[in-house]
Amino acid sequence: MSASQIPNLNTLRRGGGRGRLRGRGGITGGYPGEGQGPRGTASRDRVVQGTDNDASVSRLSAVSLGYLEDPFAKTLTPPGLETRRLPIINRGTYVRTTAIDRLVARFLSHAPHERKQIISLGAGTDTRAFRIFSSQSSPNLIYHEIDFAVNTTAKIKFIRSTPLLQRALGIGRPEDVTVSDAGDALHSAVYHLHPLDLRCLKGASTSDTADPQPLLREVDRTLPTLLISECCLIYLSPSEATDVVSYFTRTLFPDAQVAGVSGRTGTTGSGVPLGLILYEPIRPDDAFGRTMVSNLAARGIQLQTLHQYASLKAQRERLLGHGFSGGQAAADVDFLWERWVTEEEKERVAGLEMLDEMEEWRLLAQHYCIAWGWRAGGGFDGWNELEGQSGD
Amino acid sequence: MSDLDRAIAQLRACRLIPESQVRELCYKARELLIEEGNVVCVDAPVTICGDIHGQFHDLMELFRVGGDVPDTNYLFMGDFVDRGFYSLESFLLLLCLKVRYPDRITLIRGNHESRQITTVYGFYDECIRKYGSANVWRYCCEVFDYLALGALVLGASSELEPSGPSMNDNTQTTMPLDDAELETEILNSKGEVTGSTYRPRQRTLSDSSTDTRNISPPRDISATPGQTPLRTGAPGTGASGSGGGSYSSRTGSVLCVHGGLSPLIDTVDKIRLIDRKQEVPHEGAMCDLLWSDPDEIDGWGLSPRGAGFLFGGDIVKQFNYRNDLSLIARAHQLVMEGYKEMFDGGIVTVWSAPNYCYRCGNVASILELGEDTSNGGTVTRSNGDYGRSNGIISTDKPGVRSPGRRYRVFEAAAQDTRGMPAKKPVADYFL
Repeated sequence: MSASQIPNLNTLRRGGGRGRLRGRGGITGGYPGEGQGPRGTASRDRVVQGTDNDASVSRLSAVSLGYLEDPFAKTLTPPGLETRRLPIINRGTYVRTTAIDRLVARFLSHAPHERKQIISLGAGTDTRAFRIFSSQSSPNLIYHEIDFAVNTTAKIKFIRSTPLLQRALGIGRPEDVTVSDAGDALHSAVYHLHPLDLRCLKGASTSDTADPQPLLREVDRTLPTLLISECCLIYLSPSEATDVVSYFTRTLFPDAQVAGVSGRTGTTGSGVPLGLILYEPIRPDDAFGRTMVSNLAARGIQLQTLHQYASLKAQRERLLGHGFSGGQAAADVDFLWERWVTEEEKERVAGLEMLDEMEEWRLLAQHYCIAWGWRAGGGFDGWNELEGQSGD
Repeated sequence: MSDLDRAIAQLRACRLIPESQVRELCYKARELLIEEGNVVCVDAPVTICGDIHGQFHDLMELFRVGGDVPDTNYLFMGDFVDRGFYSLESFLLLLCLKVRYPDRITLIRGNHESRQITTVYGFYDECIRKYGSANVWRYCCEVFDYLALGALVLGASSELEPSGPSMNDNTQTTMPLDDAELETEILNSKGEVTGSTYRPRQRTLSDSSTDTRNISPPRDISATPGQTPLRTGAPGTGASGSGGGSYSSRTGSVLCVHGGLSPLIDTVDKIRLIDRKQEVPHEGAMCDLLWSDPDEIDGWGLSPRGAGFLFGGDIVKQFNYRNDLSLIARAHQLVMEGYKEMFDGGIVTVWSAPNYCYRCGNVASILELGEDTSNGGTVTRSNGDYGRSNGIISTDKPGVRSPGRRYRVFEAAAQDTRGMPAKKPVADYFL
């Protein structure tokens, strides 16, 4: 919490401004009328779209301070928003990012020569695709990102104006890339940006005969595929969130023996290897959780599936219900910090900033989790060895 | 109305005073604080408060719950600034009250009263924003350097006065006073007793006190005026010659410090030897006092905070025994319930920032220690060796009794009582 938020009402919609990196103006972007319009879906959507700024500002803060290495963070953060976050937020960003990186790396390193696919839901200004493609072991991978058109348009502008991003994607020449007339969709050999309201991805499961794919061109339905939802599905209603995941598990990548039977488990999937990573808040019912819900509500943010998937156990059951019968695991951010981060790395990170607020850190970190599930039958064997957290 | 009273009134309304007045105030405060020892002696009754962290409206709520200055004698255990939106208003008000009523309010230093920490956690930014320069921040930091490192509460009663609404309500005398054993009482913000606990002290007496000089009675037959004096002088007061001689109350003294103990400090007197008038160092005794935490371990451990240490129940018991303390009161750690006693009540964490950072959903508390009037308000004396037995440290020395403790638990000030324009706090989350 930063005192510098007081006079700057602009921060009401995108969180804190503070620290040495402050003082660059801090007023840009945003959406006209945000937070002031009628509480309709459109207005709520704008608030949700705005949360992406929170994430990119947090990422840049963590990068600037040395928590994370990410040369793309700066290029994908709207100018003027650069802000130093509090140490606990930086540490949380670090744990979240590195833990998901680790799950992704395990997926990519399994049978490394086999072509794979990642589909990121509500990706916003996420830098993961650029980081993966620019890494030394540039993998055989197709990367899809789906988000509201307003967010994909912004990202395409960033890509167009930043050679660093173009080089990472290998789209240095104009003929390497296609951008839609509206400037909201981008397609290249390995990277695709889809301007799409995820809530469109439904109903297809009841009409298996129709072509389910026009919404997501270039998605290869035969490749081992990893779905990622970083704080995305939680903004949808429970039924919408279920529909979105089902669109992938049953429509695009049906698991032959499970298709059509809701919640069936125990089959050895003969479908395409498929895994899902979720990153979401949990535990809304204790004092911290209740305060979180009401604070976010004051910003117009509703975490609609939070109560549905309120615990680690509920998240694991959710994954199982979607047919990820190969395994389901979940862990809160506190656990991931304690168990996934090596002692050496902990020491390095702890040395970056004095983190005084240990109790607050644990409270906050225990209210966010990563859950991951995968289909039986190969492709995600690397996830077997990763330690999940037992209990609720 | 003096300038100082005007400044107090203005700050109470959450309005800042001019920079020139801040400079003057800080100068006066420094003159006052420089006269205080590293460990300030405070007579009970006193109300002990933990972290405030710039939550001005909750500080006002604290005064509503605990009584106003100077009616109530207050001891604040540091961390006045950082994190909340109103560090300046909160700290300057407390400082004004200190200058105006120096004997009715004691301020000791927390780990956030530091140049380095305030540049990371918000106070520096707040000063720049509200005053347009770093001057006020510098004045405040100079005051920080003069704050005492600890306080010793003397003359606390082992019994509780009847509880009731804190402020001058004499009508509530009906509370059952058969409370010779009553030790801890928990009150909500309306003054209603929500819990009380007994801790009979006999349990180790029969087997551990082979030393016949241990004639101190278990607490349930106490409270008889004229009873044999029980314990030795208050720690440090004799040897250090800081006045008052070797005096003791019927209960042990209470050491108040922001963080906790240090492996470099085995007696309260050693705290008095520190040269405190400096920025909080990164290590050493002064750092530890402001940064350490009690933990369920044996001995000492490394602190995850990167400064200070963790210390176990055995350390607390030894320290309390050696220094004739009945209790260590400290702050520094968020406690969802507002306070937390550990190690058989040998140490307590008091946390006074409700809904910390507008995000944590916790309640806050203050700890009231009553005055021991059973000896007519005078303190008893004895020689320094009385009751020390066989060189063996018994884990529960019957001679030192705990003071009666009353925790007043309170919640964050309601949004609509703040009387502020809608500058709603915005808490950061990972989104």
